Amino acid sequence: MVGSARIGTGIPVAGPKAVERQMLEPWPEVGSGPFAVVAENLSKRYANIVAVDRINLRIPEGQIFGLIGPNGSGKTTTIHMLAGLMRPTGGVAKVAGYDVHKQPVAVRRNIGLVFQEPALDRNLTVQENLEFAGALHKMAPRLLNERISELLRLFGLENHRDVTVGKLSGGMRRALDVARGVLHRPRVLFLDEPTVGLDPTNRESLWQFLQRLRQEENITVLVTTHYLEEAKACDRVAFLKRGRVICQGTPGELVASLGSYVLEVEGAHPETIAKHLESCFGRGLTIGTKVLFAINDENFTLDQAARQLNRDVQATHLRRPNLQDVYWWLIHGYADKES
Amino acid sequence: MWRPIWAIIRRELRWTLRQRGRLISALVRPLLWLFTVGVGVQAMLQGAGVSQYRSFIVPGLLAMVLLFGAMLASLSMVYDKESGVMRMLIAAPFAHGWIVFARWMSAAVVGLIQAFMLSLVLATLGYLAHDVSLLLLLVGLVTTSMLCASIGVLIAVSSRALDNFAVVMNFVIFPVFFLSGALYPVNHLPAWLKLLAAVNPFSYGVDLLKHATLAHVRSPLGPDFSVARDLLVVSVASGAALLASVIRFSQDSVFEPLARWLSDGRAE
Repeated sequence: MVGSARIGTGIPVAGPKAVERQMLEPWPEVGSGPFAVVAENLSKRYANIVAVDRINLRIPEGQIFGLIGPNGSGKTTTIHMLAGLMRPTGGVAKVAGYDVHKQPVAVRRNIGLVFQEPALDRNLTVQENLEFAGALHKMAPRLLNERISELLRLFGLENHRDVTVGKLSGGMRRALDVARGVLHRPRVLFLDEPTVGLDPTNRESLWQFLQRLRQEENITVLVTTHYLEEAKACDRVAFLKRGRVICQGTPGELVASLGSYVLEVEGAHPETIAKHLESCFGRGLTIGTKVLFAINDENFTLDQAARQLNRDVQATHLRRPNLQDVYWWLIHGYADKES
Repeated sequence: MWRPIWAIIRRELRWTLRQRGRLISALVRPLLWLFTVGVGVQAMLQGAGVSQYRSFIVPGLLAMVLLFGAMLASLSMVYDKESGVMRMLIAAPFAHGWIVFARWMSAAVVGLIQAFMLSLVLATLGYLAHDVSLLLLLVGLVTTSMLCASIGVLIAVSSRALDNFAVVMNFVIFPVFFLSGALYPVNHLPAWLKLLAAVNPFSYGVDLLKHATLAHVRSPLGPDFSVARDLLVVSVASGAALLASVIRFSQDSVFEPLARWLSDGRAE
């Protein structure tokens, strides 16, 4: 292929044409279960910018779905439209069976929403916050109290019932915020960058909570993140760039479609290295002082590469690809080309 | 819908009662007026043969408590953004106009509670002793509190720059108070001031309270308008301001930037 190289089977790595091809591919088969979230050509335009550009999503019930993209790629706007907080300017979307445009209140009744910043009153206690949130969802007091106890147990907060939220640690506050989001047993939970500002331990336990919620309540989760190591835990991910879904699939598929290996070559002049090696390994991706090449040959060894390297090279590393590589190829691959 | 509204009112009450200092200062402010301006002006007027100025400003001071209490409480809707409560409210399963309605109601209740407390103090001091129509006083306090709360929510949903407390204080609360007949009878004002007082809906709330406490007083210190007119103006004005606030807050052009701000004040 000239000009637009396509590595593996799934991911287009160069050129907008490849992206369009990806967009036109038929929906993946996802079993017979109903979809918790369906978006077709969902768009949000402002006077001079297009924040979300004809997004298509289908999320089956009980799935954890990751929306990945850099800041400003339209993740939050997408969540807002799906949560009935913002009116789409184009396309349609149904969440838990309700039209986000025509039935925003019914949508909000059936979803939980966790924002980047906590939706909690710092001056009230853990119990008071959950009581307030439950009342907003018109929950009857007795049912609400049972549910609060259940969730505080699940999230390890049962000993902090009467602590003022302002005095909780960041991890606990986030856990409480997620508990607040699922208090009314929503069918779909939206989480916008839930792990920003959390240390690795708390991030890990948050993901455990999500897995447990899915197990116990068959809740569907749509989560945005830019931590790629977390996205692995999703059943399916979609990459967003400038308001468009540029590719989606299971993390395994996406990683596999990138190739068998990633060859990292490090040196003081990465551009020269990239140029020099392009004929052997295809177009490389320059990230800082490293050049990354996707290798689609299962029997590839470092020995083969060694022959091509010269004195400029300071280090080489041959490894299996991961989601971070997919992200780099998708996000920076085009940026290089376009700029 | 009563459950969420009641929860919002209860939270506001809990907050009001927890802030003792603010509650006390809300009561001290009118008493300070009563014993400084009230006493001073009365001493001045006694030479002119008028002897009831302190009684005269009692309804004005009750209205003052409502103005500060209810209006500031409804303005605090702006601060809900920072506390995270607004995020809970916008995610809740009811039309967004209800947020404004519930905030309006809770602000009116807060104002009313402060006014009741002041009434008790005033009654103990003997200022609400004779010829007070309790029913009219109650109606006057309730409707005026609603009016102040609705002006407050209207400001809260209309302006983006109202994080500035001093601006609201100087350009809304003080003018509304001074141009209301709370401190002097409207009927004897020069024409241009009289006009300003007549278009100020708060004047009619004050006048309603004058009917409750000063009905026996002959002009010039008695009420300026009729009870029916007071009630009509106060209820129409507060209903209109509330309706305008609800409609404005429900508009995408107002609500969506707020939702965006709440989600991420920095990027996107």
